[in-house]
Amino acid sequence: MKRGLSLQAALAAYRADSEPAPPPELIDPDALLTAYHPDYLRDGIATLAVGPNTDAHCPRELADLLQAEAYIDEVDLAGVEVTDTDVLVIGGGGAGCAAALAAAERGARVLLATKMRLGDSNTVMAEGGIQAAIEPDDSVQQHLQDTLRAGHHAGDPALVAALVGDGPEVIRWLIRQGMQFDQTASGDLHTRRAGGISAPRIVHCRDYTGLEMMRVLREAVTQHRGIEVWSQAPAVELLSNESGRKCVGAVLGSLDGQKLRIVRARSVILATGGIGRLHLHGFPTSNHLGATGDGLVLAYRMGAKLCDLDSFQYHPTGLVNPPYLSGKLVTEGVRAAGALLLNAEGRRFIDELQPRDVVSAAIIRECREGRGIHPETGGVGVWLDTARLERGQPGLIEQQFPKLLARSRIAGIDPRRDPVLVYPTLHYQNGGAVIDVDGATTVAGLYAAGEVAGGIHGHNRIMGNALLEIISFGRRAGFAAALAEHDRGPKKVTLEHVNQARRALTLAGLPLTRRAPQMLPAYTAPGKDIWKA
Amino acid sequence: MTENAGSDSFVDLLINGVKVRAESHMTIVEAAWAGGVPRVTGVGCLEGMCGSCRILLRRGSAVSVALACETFAEDGIEALFLPAPSAARHQYELTDFKDGWDIQARFQEIFPEAERCRHCHGCVQSCPKGIKVEEGVALAAAGRFREAGEAFIECVMCELCDNACPEQIAPAHVGLFSRRITAFFHLRPPNLIHRLEELRQEPFSATDEKESS
Ligand SMILES: Cc1cc2nc3c(=O)[nH]c(=O)nc-3n(C[C@H](O)[C@H](O)[C@H](O)COP(=O)(O)OP(=O)(O)OC[C@H]3O[C@@H](n4cnc5c(N)ncnc54)[C@H](O)[C@@H]3O)c2cc1C
Ligand code: SF4
Ligand code: SF4
Repeated sequence: MKRGLSLQAALAAYRADSEPAPPPELIDPDALLTAYHPDYLRDGIATLAVGPNTDAHCPRELADLLQAEAYIDEVDLAGVEVTDTDVLVIGGGGAGCAAALAAAERGARVLLATKMRLGDSNTVMAEGGIQAAIEPDDSVQQHLQDTLRAGHHAGDPALVAALVGDGPEVIRWLIRQGMQFDQTASGDLHTRRAGGISAPRIVHCRDYTGLEMMRVLREAVTQHRGIEVWSQAPAVELLSNESGRKCVGAVLGSLDGQKLRIVRARSVILATGGIGRLHLHGFPTSNHLGATGDGLVLAYRMGAKLCDLDSFQYHPTGLVNPPYLSGKLVTEGVRAAGALLLNAEGRRFIDELQPRDVVSAAIIRECREGRGIHPETGGVGVWLDTARLERGQPGLIEQQFPKLLARSRIAGIDPRRDPVLVYPTLHYQNGGAVIDVDGATTVAGLYAAGEVAGGIHGHNRIMGNALLEIISFGRRAGFAAALAEHDRGPKKVTLEHVNQARRALTLAGLPLTRRAPQMLPAYTAPGKDIWKA
Repeated sequence: MTENAGSDSFVDLLINGVKVRAESHMTIVEAAWAGGVPRVTGVGCLEGMCGSCRILLRRGSAVSVALACETFAEDGIEALFLPAPSAARHQYELTDFKDGWDIQARFQEIFPEAERCRHCHGCVQSCPKGIKVEEGVALAAAGRFREAGEAFIECVMCELCDNACPEQIAPAHVGLFSRRITAFFHLRPPNLIHRLEELRQEPFSATDEKESS
């Protein structure tokens, strides 16, 4: 990487009243992506040697976990307390809560087990909003086309059709749970535009959409008589029937001790969210602490097919400093409202509302070629010109982006006065477990919903489709799981799938030393891990 | 952009009774990790949104509460991570509400303590988000749910105010109730309703899966 300007020098040269020329025309976005997008970093990519996706490529950090040994063995299960339920939901973010509520609506007994407190999730941090085609000049068909196009036509059209078709009904359902959305003076839902979408379609609650959604769903779940919630109860392993081919429950651990619990269920729904905390290719992340890809690891070991494991979203505008907020997000809404991206020379270099992968690649290019800005605290970035936005539309930031302001205040930054330094941050797992329109994975008895599932966003997700997905597919999985046929006869739970996976690892000559899922990132002083099996 | 980080001066503090030496720009969460404090399990989003990393802070004789991911290490302070809040005592499901006219009566049944606020400001002083909790509770008790809910827009449900309230009013849940009931009964957006009606008459089917343009 060529060195650009220091933060001081760049700030001194910055003028909020300059008039930057339009960015150069982007002639070949694919070439830009191949040259600069982290998905194309050859060095960090591994090829899977075992499991249903053998020969597929994925980042090394993820491959290490997908091809690791389980924490537990059959001997560990002797004498462990057993609980029975109809539907076991693993994960307490938006998808897990929607699934639990849907299953309970259908009369199932539901147990929701989550790694941290209910609602500690990526969902609670979502800012920008949720997509639903509700404006007169918009249509569900347009939503379908935008989603497929932005995903480079790698998404499954049947899943996307289900997603976009659910949009308006999802918003109604959320309102019935008690979620508020911003309205126009005439009472319509207020809609925003975003990169890669053809009509204003993003409904939101200020820049607190995820917070509002999560506190409402958490309350709905905890108040629901048919749902039991276990917090700080991470799933350590799934349970299979004697053939190792059907999921019949899970083994739950606890964050603060060594206690294991067995849950036997008719259906299991994985809603464990994303992988940001694996820091693929060393990138910072916008994700919450528990986003360590546990669901992918559990599903894969049980034989579920995954898809698009080589495709991740790096959000263009992650904060660079202060260090404790490194990787944390500035919502795309700020660019949608008109904020420009400027390099160290004060020049625009990309149309700010291009799809996220393209904008991220362009920022990485600027920084690598010596047009980045380097703070003393480390890292590099470009300007997100919030100060010019404020100058053009005084009061807008306070009105529409209170979260940005509140967070900056604590950090001693004023985005209304100075531009904000940003760099791409690992944000979203585009792929995941292969599902059908009912959220069923390729393993009987096992469903997946939300960020852990794949197939919808292709190789790039547009803003607002993840929040739609977690409710749409959370509910689909919940309904299907509640109604699923169940085996009669004795309910034998085994770890046969773990035995089979271990044999495969040995045959492939892979080490059995590493254990997964990871549960929590290793941020602590050596030997003082928060989680230890 | 203002620089407030980068200096590597060290501070000594106590976290959960463990002596920790940290860099002064670290948050309490980072300091706990760096110092190897065991059993810090209540950490979630690291940006002040999930409300989990609740701490009790002692600076000399002054005691306060805060969120650890937004509080910086200081010399000589003591931080104690608090356990997760216990389950709410108030039970209600929105679908049990048949009619918007009796909301206030139902509210009084569900939150009978709300009328007994003694204006001690405990909730306001403990709120890490600067929410006018006490005013919000008063508005809800007066049946002004829309305004009450609005006061809680930035509430992260850390429930520190619930812990502080001597009357066990559960202000955070009063706020959330106010927001939910407002949406449930009053949010009827014409653009959404119109599209739902169109889709009811002609359900969406993606006939052309290829792009038409
Ligand atoms: C900062 C930020 C902003 C975003 N903004 C938007 C936006 O504006 N619009 C949009 O559409 N999308 C947005 N997204 C994406 C969207 O928020 C997420 O993709 C979505 O909320 C994921 O929901 P989920 O329920 O699948 O996972 P999560 O909400 O992450 O929930 C996963 C849950 O599973 C639990 N879990 C994990 N492992 C285990 C285990 N082993 N055992 C038990 N439980 C476990 C976790 O603790 C967590 O509670 C944003 C994401 C981030 C990070
Ligand atoms: S109102 Fe109560 S629950 Fe909400 S942020 Fe403030 S102290 Fe926490
Ligand atoms: S803490 Fe309780 S009693 Fe005191 S002011 Fe707040 S709501 Fe009223």
